[in-house]
Amino acid sequence: MRLEKCWFCSSTVYPGHGIQFVRNDAKIFRFCRSKCHKNFKMKRNPRKVKWTKAYRRVHGKDMTQDATFEFERKRNRPERYDRHVAEETLKAIKKIDKVRVDREARHYAKRMKGKKAQVQKEAANELEQSIHMVKAPAALQKEPSLTLPKVYQKQTEDRMEE
Amino acid sequence: MIQPQTHLNVADNSGARELMCIRIIGASNRRYAHIGDVIVAVIKEAVPNMPLEKSEIVRAVIVRTCKELKRDSGMIIRYDDNAAVVIDQEGNPKGTRIFGAIPRELRQFNFTKIVSLAPEVL
Repeated sequence: MRLEKCWFCSSTVYPGHGIQFVRNDAKIFRFCRSKCHKNFKMKRNPRKVKWTKAYRRVHGKDMTQDATFEFERKRNRPERYDRHVAEETLKAIKKIDKVRVDREARHYAKRMKGKKAQVQKEAANELEQSIHMVKAPAALQKEPSLTLPKVYQKQTEDRMEE
Repeated sequence: MIQPQTHLNVADNSGARELMCIRIIGASNRRYAHIGDVIVAVIKEAVPNMPLEKSEIVRAVIVRTCKELKRDSGMIIRYDDNAAVVIDQEGNPKGTRIFGAIPRELRQFNFTKIVSLAPEVL
């Protein structure tokens, strides 16, 4: 039994799932579900289809090189069954998964760094420039107590102070 | 799902290029043939200067179908074309080479010679 990767979306194909397509040159394409199979038949390039792992790797959204990926390399040499080795491997799988998830989270954090400040800046800008869509400029000038709401407050509601 | 009038590619070097299925060997009213079934076919296209000629009636075993082949393990395999290997009355292939991938199921149907000649057994 072997857990394969879907050719289109790179998710794991468990036994009993999906279809394998054998091309005439004996290349096997495995698909995890009919969604990927249909996309393949439509001749879509997975590197251009946004939700696939191939796209995310090519466009830098997910990590491409990491030591944790080495553990998942395909090995064609059968191992003699050793209970001790099997136990240790199961423990190691858990640990490696945790490490990989942590590194992916760090990669995501690094990617999204500075996003919050940028969103705040854009919001402040929009407030200054487009306040006329919410409140007529004449009304603002007439009532001196009406002020623009401050963006830098941590509150979620943008209430006009009246 | 091969039925009479279906055109099949030939996956060996027996001399035929394309076969048309005429009849499925087995039960009298058998509708469709799958991988591992023997069919009676007529040669529609042949390679020149070979022992097999056009319009000859031969027997063939189906080795690849576009219709999916389901295995007990839950694996489903689909090929790119419909193909057959020309055989004689005993079940031995008439050609000496097989082209393309062959599924493992042929071994259980006692076509061991075809499986042994195949370049790739899936």
